[in-house]
Amino acid sequence: MVELLSHCLNRMFHNISASIEETKDHLSALDGVIGDADHGVTMSIGFQAVKAELSRRNVDAMAAEDLMNTAAMAFLNSVGASTGPLYATGMWRAAQALAGAADATPAIQAAIVKGIADGVRERGKGQRGDKTMLDAWIPAAEAGAAAVRRSESAEQMWREIIAAAEAGADATRSMVASKGRAARLGERALGHVDPGATSAVIILKAMALTFCGNAAGTAKSAERGTPRFRRAETHEEAGKGSRS
Amino acid sequence: MTDSESELRSSVRPRPAPVEAGGATPLRFGDDPYVWVSWLYYQEGMTQYDIAQTMGISRATVIAYLNEARERGIVKIAIEPARLASLTIAQSMRSHFSLRDCLVIPNGADDRALGDRLGAAGAMALRKVLKSGDTLAVTGGRTVMAVGDSLRVAGLQDVTVVQAIGGAIARNPASPSQCASAIASAVNATCVTLSAPAVASSVEARAIMVAEPLVAEQLSILMRANKALFGIASLRPNASLYSEGVFEAAELQSYIDGDAVGVLAARFIDAWGQPVAGVLDNRVIGLSLEDLLRVDLRICVAGGFDKVPAILAALRRGYANVLVTDAATARGVLRADGGVELDRRANDRQAVRDRGREPREYVKKFINEPDDVVEEMLDGAIRAHRAYIRPLAFSRRALVALDGPRQGKVGLVIGGGSGHEPCFLGYVGKGLADAVAVGNIFSTPPPDPIFQCVQAVSGGAGVLLVYGNYVGDVMNFDMAAELARDHGVETRSIMTTDDVASSPRENRDSRRGVAGNVFVFKVAGAACDKGWSLDACEGVARKANARTYTVGVALEPCSLPQTRRYNFEIGPEEIEIGMGIHGEPGVVRGELAPADEIVDKILDQIFSEMRPVSGDKVAVLVNSLGGTPLMELYILYRRVEQRLTAKGVEIDMSLVGHYCTSIDMVGASVSLLHLDRELHELLHHPCRTAFLQVG
Repeated sequence: MVELLSHCLNRMFHNISASIEETKDHLSALDGVIGDADHGVTMSIGFQAVKAELSRRNVDAMAAEDLMNTAAMAFLNSVGASTGPLYATGMWRAAQALAGAADATPAIQAAIVKGIADGVRERGKGQRGDKTMLDAWIPAAEAGAAAVRRSESAEQMWREIIAAAEAGADATRSMVASKGRAARLGERALGHVDPGATSAVIILKAMALTFCGNAAGTAKSAERGTPRFRRAETHEEAGKGSRS
Repeated sequence: MTDSESELRSSVRPRPAPVEAGGATPLRFGDDPYVWVSWLYYQEGMTQYDIAQTMGISRATVIAYLNEARERGIVKIAIEPARLASLTIAQSMRSHFSLRDCLVIPNGADDRALGDRLGAAGAMALRKVLKSGDTLAVTGGRTVMAVGDSLRVAGLQDVTVVQAIGGAIARNPASPSQCASAIASAVNATCVTLSAPAVASSVEARAIMVAEPLVAEQLSILMRANKALFGIASLRPNASLYSEGVFEAAELQSYIDGDAVGVLAARFIDAWGQPVAGVLDNRVIGLSLEDLLRVDLRICVAGGFDKVPAILAALRRGYANVLVTDAATARGVLRADGGVELDRRANDRQAVRDRGREPREYVKKFINEPDDVVEEMLDGAIRAHRAYIRPLAFSRRALVALDGPRQGKVGLVIGGGSGHEPCFLGYVGKGLADAVAVGNIFSTPPPDPIFQCVQAVSGGAGVLLVYGNYVGDVMNFDMAAELARDHGVETRSIMTTDDVASSPRENRDSRRGVAGNVFVFKVAGAACDKGWSLDACEGVARKANARTYTVGVALEPCSLPQTRRYNFEIGPEEIEIGMGIHGEPGVVRGELAPADEIVDKILDQIFSEMRPVSGDKVAVLVNSLGGTPLMELYILYRRVEQRLTAKGVEIDMSLVGHYCTSIDMVGASVSLLHLDRELHELLHHPCRTAFLQVG
């Protein structure tokens, strides 16, 4: 039988939390170069709190929407910082998209990604090019929407989402931040990948793992330059989709 | 020149009379002819012949002495470091991007705006390459216009300057046609303008216009161009592109959504220099990107951090083969491309290792479980300061003053991350803040504890929220303020912005709040305690913030309890000026210098904005960032007072100690509050808190 959506989301948060735990030192080190070196710690605290809050509830009896809202509040109230309001708002938007949904169809999965991207954008009043997590979330959301329009399989969709997010995160290397603490660094932040965009890719990979086993999560840019070709493809296809 | 040098110099002038036979040199130089010769040659500017005459020796001997002086290190020849650096960067740029030539101007060498300096450099480049008979295509933009402003070339024949893209609205002072005519008149060239707009209203309109014989002829001249001069525009907010009247804001947004990073000759390019398709396809009139690539010599003049992605994109695809830029931008472009490792920070650890000193893996700390640090710290603080504060409900994250809040009084809520102790909980008590919301280490508290504080201190007269200006703080406090409004409590938010080093003066509002916020808390708390209205409290707190100036200097980084590692590295002889209170890297790195020199550097920066005059009063805060002992703070304070006294400025209150820290960071900050009568009174209004007691 089909897995309950709320059950699936619970698993998703466990996977995200586990991935963040594995990478939190790396994320903090990335942040130390351009921020205050706590990004890994902050993300870890947030998703640990989500996991703890959900473990106190009978998730199978919760509507997917409620589960997402619960996660948002838990994340917000444990984290604060800028990450708290940003991801909490993202999860609230994702919860709205989940209203009434029961199955984790590719369209629903893409809607979660888009909801998070929209919420983060709205709260942070940012856009792509700001050297933030949006540089991963926006392309990911677009790739998801395009895949849904083409009725792709979940595996194919997540491959494209991850590719788009990785390319976006990689592109932050050449950006000068205009938001957050890194914004005060000017050119000194150049050449460094934004930790927020990096953790966004980690979250998306954990989501891919949840929704379709492994597949997309393993797509890795082994060498510089690879993402651009993959990204160009994705973008072109996305473009076609939007004009049809 | 140092004082002793100028003294030396003036004592030598007027030029000494020829030395009489026997060659006795002045006593000042002892009997060292090398110094004497070097002085006359390098400092007095005498010729070798004159020196020989003056000293009664042969010219060959003068030359020998000069060589010897260099070898012995009496004379050292140095190239000004900024200029040398820009030369090195220019070489790196040239080889990394296979440019024919690259001209990099040093940053901060003079006070003119970057655009004007780039214009002058661009003019220099153009003077070098422009030859008789050339056809030069020219785009619009302020930088290109600046080239025209500095350019004067005489003696060229048969040069044609042609407008590379169609025209823009008349109020744009650097429209393509104006740029073309400015450059043309500067080189006495024939000017060919395009009798069409840069962007046609539709694809059809463009087709009709380019088919017009007049326009077609102009375009055919453009296609003959063998040289091109262009700027690059950024798509970042505030870019000049938004005000040039060539593109609509909605059009620009659609290209940003399409991953465009910059604009070059009215064409949008992505991070790899590829054209971005969009709403303006087939509507732009002028040189296309492919046309541009066919032009033999393509000179790009552009600079500024916000343009880094765009310049990098243009270089990746080779749109420019001559680049004129500034050192900081060039360094940024190289770094962004990852091709050249110019980043000292990443190399620090390696450098330390190379010297055979392994950096210590973990910093020692008095902690139990890393995850319990904040809770245990708060537990201890609440117990230690139970005379002043108590926790609200079940959480230690919202602390309220025992005898602060009362009916009819404006409440004052402050807050921020942990790790800054005694900020912020040390300033809660009667006469100062009524409550504090406490976040994780270096993290703003979430909206919930802030809202709890607001509710607890609301006495019906409104609540003032005062906190440092950080993105996270603003988001969480704003969400709390929304909650408060929904519950019928009016709040006003004041973000402290005292850190002078964090943004230029014209961007005062985007500065961050650091140690000086203690003054703002104090003033706001006093106004609230005196029973002033919400408007009055807000007004005076804003005034205090506007008149508070802080500059911090870090000597060593701080280490977070969870990682027990330093969160960045500072070289053995380096200091970081403008370091934030979260260990955010500062704005510049300098060399370790004596304490007085560091204070002078800090105060010069503060004075240049504060502009104190004799008779003014200030409050001084010399604050440790955590690891610097009181001993050193007093040494710093001593110099602060010397400088203020020399200006005739009166010190009305002085605070020296740990007031706003960054865990264990070694370093200090100096804050000055420029007082007026009102601020003076509020500053001296009594208060009783764990860390600040007045009256």
